[in-house]
Amino acid sequence: MNPSAPGPEPVATRREFFRRGLRAGAAIAATGGLGAWLLDRHPPGDFGRTQGRDLRMDFGVRSAGPGMAIATGRDRPGMLRRALAALGGIERFIARGDRVMLKVNAAFATPALLGATTHPELLAELVRLCRAAGAASVVVTDNPINTPESCFELSGIGGAARSAGADLFIPRPGSFRAGTLPGGRLIRDWPVLDEPFAGVTKLIGVAPVKGHHRAGASMTIKNWYGLLGGRRNQFHQDIDGIIVELAMLVKPTLVVLDGTDSMMTNGPTGGSLADLKETNTLIVGTDPVATDAFGATLLGKTFRDLPYLVRAGELGLGATDFESLKPARVPAPAT
Amino acid sequence: MGEVEAFAPGTLSDKIDGKADLYLSAGFVSLRDQRVSVSAGAGSWMEMFVYDMGLPANAFSVFSSQRRPRAADAAIADYSYEADNELCLVHGRYYVELVCSDSSDAASRAAEAVARAYVGATAVAEHADIGAEEALFPSEGLVAGSVALVPSDVFGFDRLKNVFVARYRVGGDEVTLFAAKRGTPGEAAKEAAELRGFFVVDCGGAETPAPPGPPGAAIIDLGGSFEAVFAMGPYVAGVHQAADRDSAQRWLAVLGRRIPGGNP
Repeated sequence: MNPSAPGPEPVATRREFFRRGLRAGAAIAATGGLGAWLLDRHPPGDFGRTQGRDLRMDFGVRSAGPGMAIATGRDRPGMLRRALAALGGIERFIARGDRVMLKVNAAFATPALLGATTHPELLAELVRLCRAAGAASVVVTDNPINTPESCFELSGIGGAARSAGADLFIPRPGSFRAGTLPGGRLIRDWPVLDEPFAGVTKLIGVAPVKGHHRAGASMTIKNWYGLLGGRRNQFHQDIDGIIVELAMLVKPTLVVLDGTDSMMTNGPTGGSLADLKETNTLIVGTDPVATDAFGATLLGKTFRDLPYLVRAGELGLGATDFESLKPARVPAPAT
Repeated sequence: MGEVEAFAPGTLSDKIDGKADLYLSAGFVSLRDQRVSVSAGAGSWMEMFVYDMGLPANAFSVFSSQRRPRAADAAIADYSYEADNELCLVHGRYYVELVCSDSSDAASRAAEAVARAYVGATAVAEHADIGAEEALFPSEGLVAGSVALVPSDVFGFDRLKNVFVARYRVGGDEVTLFAAKRGTPGEAAKEAAELRGFFVVDCGGAETPAPPGPPGAAIIDLGGSFEAVFAMGPYVAGVHQAADRDSAQRWLAVLGRRIPGGNP
C-alpha cells in the first residue's frame, strides 16, 4: 500500500457531499456534518516514520486474485456456501493446515435477531467450511469493551463458535500489543489485539450491514475497530479517519458481509426489530472496500455518502467501483 | 441476570459504541442499565437503559430522534411508544429504553409492567412538555409521531442545533418543516442568514426570487429539491426538502402563519 497525501478537494465535490447529506431523507441530522468533510482535508501522518512495531496485517491470498460474490436469499448458511462456490470454493482461500481467525462483530450483548452482531448461524457455517477445507484451527474473536462474556453469550456467537468446532478467544488486558500503522496519523503507538494472532495464517471478517450514527454505515472495514484496544472511544471524534486507517491496517483473506437483514435506523446498536429491513443479500469478497461499497447500496446509499469509503478508494485501498470486480451474482435457488 | 452498570460521558461509547455521540450532543449526564430475566417467558430477558439527560427537553430529543417506524404510543409516561420488542419513554429528565430479547406477548407485558413501575417509583422535578413547540406546526398533513427535537448537525450544518422538525405528507407532497426559538430576534436572524449561506455556498444552491412571505424568507434551489428559511421574532424556521418551488412557497406561508408574530 502506498497512500499519497491528498491535494485540495474540488469545491464541486464538497458541495456534492453536503447535498447528498441534505437528500438523506430520514437523516435530518446528516451524519458527520461539516466535521466529516473536513476530515478528508487533513493529510495523513508522517509517511515513513514508524514508532514501534509495524501493525499492518496482510492475510491476502495473492493467487486467488480479487473476487466478489453476491448471493441473495434468506438462508445465511446457504447464501454463504453459494457465494463461496461462485468464487471457486473456500479451498481457494483456506488450505489444509491453515490457522484461521474469524473476526466477528460481537460489540453488543444483544440477541441475534436484532442484527447488531454477527449472526450465529452464519458464523457456525463459516467455521464448518473452514474446518472442512482442512483448517488446523479456527479461532473466533472480537474486543467488545463492555462485558465481553455477555456479548459473546447473549449474541449467540459463543455457542455457535463452540458447537461448530472453533475456539473462542475473549481478550484480556494482556492480549494487546502496541505498535504503529505506517502512514497513519491515529494508530500510532496504539494497542492492537495481538495474542490470538499467534500462528494465524488466514483472517476472515464477518460483519452485519448496519447504519451507524456517526460513520453513516458499519460494515466489514469498521468491523476491524474491534481489533483496537485502549481508550479507543477517542477515535469517534475522527470516525472516518480511523476507519480509513483500519482499511490500511488489515488486508484480510476474505470478508463476509451479511445483509440478510440490514439495520436501517438507530445503528449501530439498534434495539428494535423495527430498525431492520429484509435486504436478503450476503456478500463475500477479497476487497473490503468493494464489499462495503456494495453494502452501502443495501442501506440506500452509495460509497459517495460514506467519506471513509471515498478516501479509501482514493488511497488505492480497494475498489469503490465494485462492478469493476465483475461480482458473481448468485440468486436464491428456485423452491 | 446481570449487575447494574453505570456509564458517564467518558465511558458511554464503551456501552453503545457509535451511538454515544447522539446522546452526548443532547446533554447526556449518565446511563444506568441492567439485564433482567422475564419470568413469564421461557428464556426471555430484557435490558433496561435509564439515560439521565439532564433536562426533560434533552430526554425528548433522544427519544424523538430515534422513534421507530412502527412505533405505537404506549401512554405510560410523558412520552412513550412500543415498537416490536422495544418500549421507550421519557419521564422528566430520563430517557428509558426497555429492549426485550424477543417480541413475544410475555416480553411485551413485562416491559410495560417494568415501565409503569419505574415511572411510579421515580419522582421528577419537571416533566417533559413540548406542547408549545408542537403548536408551531400545523396539524393538517402532519405525520403522526414525527415531531422531533434534533440536537445538532441539523441538515448537515454543524452550527444548527436544537431544532424542532416535523414531517408532512399531503397527497404526493412530502416535506419537513422546522422551527427553533432563539434567545433574541437578532440571534434568530443571524442563524437564518447562516443557514441560507450554508445552502448556497456549501451546498451550491441557487437563490430563487423572493417569495411573497414571510418577510425576508428565501427559497434555495438545490437542483432536485428546495430549501426555505426565514426568521420571525426570536424564531428561525423553514421548509426542508420540498419537491418543487411551489411546494416550498406554499409550506412557507403555512408555517409563517403559525409562528408567533406571523399573520394568522
